[in-house]
Amino acid sequence: MATAADAVSQAAAKPRPLWRRRGARWFAAAVVVAQLALVANGYRDPHNYFAFQPFNESSTYAVELVRVLDDGQQVPVPNGRWEGYDWNELIDWGPLRSPWHQRHAFSGVDAMLDFLDNALDWVAGNTPADTETRYWEATVTYYRNARGPYVTVIRSHERDLGDP
Amino acid sequence: MTAITSSNAAATDWRVRCQQWLSEVIDQPASVRGVAVLRIVLGPSVIWHLRPFLADALNGTTYHDHFQQPWWSWYPNAPAGLYMALLWIGVAAAVLMTVGWWSRTAAWAAFAVVAYNLFLSQTHFHHNRAFLVILLAGVALCDNGRALSLDALRRPPSDDRGLVWPMWLLRFEAAAVYFASGFSKLIDPDWVGGRVLHDRAVRYQNDVRDALGDTLADPILDVLTTRAFHWVLSPAAVATELFIAFGLWFRRTRLAAVWVAVAFHVGIEVSAHVQVFSVIAIGALALWAVPSTRDRTLVTPSRWVRWLDWMARFDITVAPGASWSMVDRDGTVLEGREARQFVRTRLPATFLFSRFWRFR
Repeated sequence: MATAADAVSQAAAKPRPLWRRRGARWFAAAVVVAQLALVANGYRDPHNYFAFQPFNESSTYAVELVRVLDDGQQVPVPNGRWEGYDWNELIDWGPLRSPWHQRHAFSGVDAMLDFLDNALDWVAGNTPADTETRYWEATVTYYRNARGPYVTVIRSHERDLGDP
Repeated sequence: MTAITSSNAAATDWRVRCQQWLSEVIDQPASVRGVAVLRIVLGPSVIWHLRPFLADALNGTTYHDHFQQPWWSWYPNAPAGLYMALLWIGVAAAVLMTVGWWSRTAAWAAFAVVAYNLFLSQTHFHHNRAFLVILLAGVALCDNGRALSLDALRRPPSDDRGLVWPMWLLRFEAAAVYFASGFSKLIDPDWVGGRVLHDRAVRYQNDVRDALGDTLADPILDVLTTRAFHWVLSPAAVATELFIAFGLWFRRTRLAAVWVAVAFHVGIEVSAHVQVFSVIAIGALALWAVPSTRDRTLVTPSRWVRWLDWMARFDITVAPGASWSMVDRDGTVLEGREARQFVRTRLPATFLFSRFWRFR
């Protein structure tokens, strides 16, 4: 006499439709190709997303942050505070916290510079109470795997301050 | 002519064997117990991963309130309330995954929440989170509730077998992680030459001193901050990762690779903050168990074997007063001390301290 377990077992033994078997093969092949492509892309992409290159560098960086006003005057931003804003509160992300001190470059210097570039743009676009700053400028001094120092300058996009 | 014929035959033979292997991997059901073990490990890992996001949200801060770097402009941004609800759904799904209630649906839900959160901002990206997303997807693709779950208790399946092609994909992904990491370091002269690790050791020596105190830290730091030490340590670290990446694939090296991987992850966890990586990577090692269960028979006087045989390696008969006796898959019979030592190599809780090299 056939039991319920036998019926389940027979149903499981029934071959799956061809389209499902083929679908699984194509899907698996696509995943393998995509993963290999992402690993290869990691040698080009500074962030090496999904390329699994942890602890890739032991680099450090420090930033001298200034606000550049409409007349070109450069105003330092001591401890990241200005016009009621606080850099650390606005950014609130460990790798870019207090960048005026020497910090470890999370995911490498190139990734950090890209993040900093975007962070300056984000701050420029999200500080409406600051009616003076035309753009932000960060002078970054970095050591790549203890070699350096190297210096580079990054600017945010220019803000529209309206008519004086 | 003969050479051509034999080369054609070899090519055909290779093709046939490939197709057989593919058919076995894609179409043949096998035990999903390894995936079920991983599911149980991933549940708490998802909660651990979501906890800081949830803590921020409970304090009234979400990703809307600070710097974010979107991956794609078209990616939907959940309002704060919905975002918090999604995080709670992720936590609930993680709990269900762990106990194995609606296992597969819970795995899909956890995957959806963790992946959504990861792709909200590039600042959310970490390698361990990417690996977590991949593992969750693989577990969700597999019928993982057939073993070690409340689902299996409520509606017992005929056996613990299901389609295991997602498990093979996860094996590939896990090996790819070790390979990608090891190979990228191998071709980087700063890494393989010791410069990267040495600089880190020098820079973070105060953390070691704070953690251990001067008396204990001094002799350790004397070694760790020596340049020559990293000429040895760095190539060894690279070799370790590459050995794990390849060693896991072959039966003769698999147990050694698993042992090395556990030691490697414990070492990383002690020396660096890698969030959930160590736990999920060790959990993923369960995927490398041969996907068949109870195919060795064991007669033992000890009840503890039954409690520790999480991977169901043995068909166990407990006979008080009997001596140990084990019949392996190939019919090899081991008796007494030999059988006991073999069993220890196949139990997750005793494996690390067993003589695994004797019984590959």
